[in-house]
Amino acid sequence: MALTTHNKKRVPLAGPALALAVMAAPALAATEAGEELIRNNCLACHSDTGNSETPFSRISEQRKTPEGWLMTINRMQELRGAQISTEDKRALVQYLADHQGLAPSEAEPYRYLLEQDTNLVESGVDEGLGQMCARCHSAARFSLQRRTEDEWKRLVGFHMGQFPTIELHSLARDRAWYDIAQNQTAVELGNKFPLITPEWNSWKAAPKADLTGRWRVLGYVPGKGEFTAWMDASKSETGYQLSLEGQYSDGSALSGKGSARVYTGYEWRAAIEIDGVKMRQVMAADAEGSVMDGRMFNTEAREIGGELMAVRDQGQPAVVAVLPAHLKLGESAELTIVGQNLDGDVSLGDGVEIEKVIARDGDSIRVLAKASGAAGARTVSVGDASKDQALAVYDSLARVEVTPANALSRIGGNGGEMAKVRTVYRAVGYAAGADGQPGTDDDLRLGYMPATWSIAPADEVAAHDKDEKYAGAIDASGIFTPGDAGPNPERKMSANNVGRLTVVGSVSDGGNDVTGEGSLLVAPQDFVRRVLD
Amino acid sequence: MKVNKKMKTSALAGAALLSLQALPASADQEYLLTITRPGHLQVIDMSTNEVVRTCDVPGKFGTGSIAPSPDGKIAYVLSNMTEDVYGFDIQTCDITFHAAQSQGNVRVKTHQSITVSADGKELYTVQNPVRHLPDRFEVMEPQLAVYNTADGTDAKPVRTFPVDRRITKIAATEKGEVILGGADIKAIDVNSGEVRMVTALQSWDRGPEWLPPDAFAMHSQGEQSNEYIMPYVTAKFQDDTMNMETAEWWWGISRVDLATGEAVRQEIIPFEFIVFNFISDPRDPNIFYGSFNTLSKHDITTGETLALYEMPHTYYDLNISADGKTIYVGGTSSDISIHSSDTLEKIGSIQLSGDMSTSDLRVATIRD
Ligand code: HEC
Ligand code: HEC
Repeated sequence: MALTTHNKKRVPLAGPALALAVMAAPALAATEAGEELIRNNCLACHSDTGNSETPFSRISEQRKTPEGWLMTINRMQELRGAQISTEDKRALVQYLADHQGLAPSEAEPYRYLLEQDTNLVESGVDEGLGQMCARCHSAARFSLQRRTEDEWKRLVGFHMGQFPTIELHSLARDRAWYDIAQNQTAVELGNKFPLITPEWNSWKAAPKADLTGRWRVLGYVPGKGEFTAWMDASKSETGYQLSLEGQYSDGSALSGKGSARVYTGYEWRAAIEIDGVKMRQVMAADAEGSVMDGRMFNTEAREIGGELMAVRDQGQPAVVAVLPAHLKLGESAELTIVGQNLDGDVSLGDGVEIEKVIARDGDSIRVLAKASGAAGARTVSVGDASKDQALAVYDSLARVEVTPANALSRIGGNGGEMAKVRTVYRAVGYAAGADGQPGTDDDLRLGYMPATWSIAPADEVAAHDKDEKYAGAIDASGIFTPGDAGPNPERKMSANNVGRLTVVGSVSDGGNDVTGEGSLLVAPQDFVRRVLD
Repeated sequence: MKVNKKMKTSALAGAALLSLQALPASADQEYLLTITRPGHLQVIDMSTNEVVRTCDVPGKFGTGSIAPSPDGKIAYVLSNMTEDVYGFDIQTCDITFHAAQSQGNVRVKTHQSITVSADGKELYTVQNPVRHLPDRFEVMEPQLAVYNTADGTDAKPVRTFPVDRRITKIAATEKGEVILGGADIKAIDVNSGEVRMVTALQSWDRGPEWLPPDAFAMHSQGEQSNEYIMPYVTAKFQDDTMNMETAEWWWGISRVDLATGEAVRQEIIPFEFIVFNFISDPRDPNIFYGSFNTLSKHDITTGETLALYEMPHTYYDLNISADGKTIYVGGTSSDISIHSSDTLEKIGSIQLSGDMSTSDLRVATIRD
């Protein structure tokens, strides 16, 4: 997320120096304590290599996310019989993720897995790797790991030993699966995702920011809407204590308390209860510790969540966002500038007239505004603080993008052990841009817009099977709920309530309805918890 | 004794009728064998369609692979998560044979591959070993293991030979070979270990007009015709652009005559629905039956589907009586569905104590 120019200037001067001073001393002690933990918990089976670069067999030759380390240690307990106390386990994950984690730029392309948006269908996966490795779990699972070539090979060995029929499945038995995995895939992965990278070397050496403080937070809770809040993070023994107070765009309040841990110096993981609902936050902090970006979701239903962004209050004025982020030429509309320490003259950019200031304080300014002039992005400023492209002024809504574009829901419930996996839809509006052609690079993003939702069968076959009737329903807030699990006697051959649907979001623009479509597969329950795991 | 038993159990009129008809034709006794969860060998008298014996199988359920001895008296069963083979006397449930294939830190899995030599003296398995070291798994080469069936309950391999990976169903021929069903169909000489190609499937060379086949056999198919059937799916393209949209999709088979070890490969019927297993009619090698969500009957000389019966649920496998009249459809769930091979109409059903899951449905014939 864009910073105010002011923040950008200030942080590198004071931040790293301070953080360095704080971090340098405990680092050595942490290494010793961490190695001690590994010695105590892991060396019944793993061995001391005698090599100080990679002191522990297998363990030292891979890097992964905190979730990746947790998965491995869970397996050590559940399948290998390792006895590890809860306390040691937490400390091991912390130590391993801190010392053998991923650099922010390494994790960046695959953050969707960490953010646990379980509806998302991965795109852009290399076909060969997809067939070899991403038919049981996500491609992000291995793309979020770094290993030596030998460790990628041993991973193949693990799969063969753990899942002996792996080479007989469809998309495996049609090729020499094991030979390819061992001699091609593992080598390819060793090149693509090696243990030692310049990114990690430099991140390892970089000072890590302290994330204590007050954060201006912007988020979205499905069914409730967008919210703005303040989140206070104060140091605790293992991370941070959190309290959050704010309001949804309809004016209703939200409040919550929780705690956070930070791994690898930037991976923010919080558990927070908001108005009685257990939620989790997964964000990545930037190098300066000024901005965090990610997703907040329902702990019990990970697919129910939305974007989350937080900007730290560093005592300086900052414009964080304008809600909504779009204003139609010639129309008067209410806008809220969200920020911190806001003080001074308000400007919404060229040709945007502020007809009235409805309310203002240091955190937000509510105005009635009207735009004229050319369509395009505007810089919004309050006193010294400004934010580029904070407001899109547009002539007409040219197209609507439905997110997610490709999603997967799963039938469930009906007395079965698997809950339904829903999908949360939102609509993003675009103006055509200077060329007047929607769908081109210069389209102007207008941000999220309120939409009315409907579903339709994806094609003739789906229409014939009446998928739109059986596979589920979408509500006014864009939450799609799939049908019940189990055979449905109303359907041909008592099929279950699976189906292929088109989800249509319709946004009204001055009497015109502009629609966008998403494609949705309603699949059977997944007893092995697949897709984004 | 046999007759007595039959007379007593004529609750199902149809079944009783069948048994009476079967009696004069032959005194051979056919038993249908399958495994149910959590671990039972079910012995079903095919003249009464009654479960006559349920033997406890030690170890955790494997995949339910079964190999009857040629004299029909012993059923070899893969158990303990596909690591162990147990031999049962099907007339007493006594365990006559046990091979624990995993030894020390080497864990051995067998993907369905068990069979008995034509003289009943040797048992063959394909072993897929993985060495479990303290902090890693080391994948080892698969091998054919030969056991003496007379070696009792602590049997060890007497010979081993390297074989390909991905082998599932195997069958012994009368020529001292074992048919290995994997990517291709090969045969291994059980004494020399020499391997010959029987039918090239994945490595077939039919040019760009034919899609390399997806061949897979989980279950024994064709035993009542003394053959080994490996089904496959392939596509015939219009030209060498390999356009899947305009391709013709076909079911094909490789069938190996277990008397001679000779094989024929051919496309048999258009791919219109999923068939998991095919069997041939013991009376007519051109008549095939298939099971999955449907029970179907085909003439493979014309590619015609002669009859189709919609099943109420999925049934993985099927088998047939030696006289070719009765089809047993099983696997997946806990009921075996009995059908007339003529019309495919359902004529009976056998309820078992547990799910068959992926288990074999085999016939053991104890000859008069
Ligand atoms: C009881 C024996 C045992 C203990 C204790 C044990 N491990 Fe392992 N570990 C294994 C075995 C066996 C494997 C190989 C099979 C596998 O990957 O599950 C393995 C594999 C691994 C791997 C490689 C996994 C991969 O994805 O390639 C890592 C990393 C690992 N262990 C970490 C640990 C850590 C950290 C501990 C201590 C907290 C630990 N292990 C304790 C037995 C053990
Ligand atoms: C048959 C399904 C299947 C296929 C195919 C498969 N995986 Fe996995 N993989 C799994 C399962 C299940 C686990 C979870 C193991 C556990 O519980 O810890 C896993 C775990 C992993 C892990 C996490 C291990 C750890 O402890 O860090 C990685 C990385 C991985 N797989 C990579 C791959 C790669 C690379 C390939 C292709 C060569 C592949 N997988 C193919 C099923 C599969």
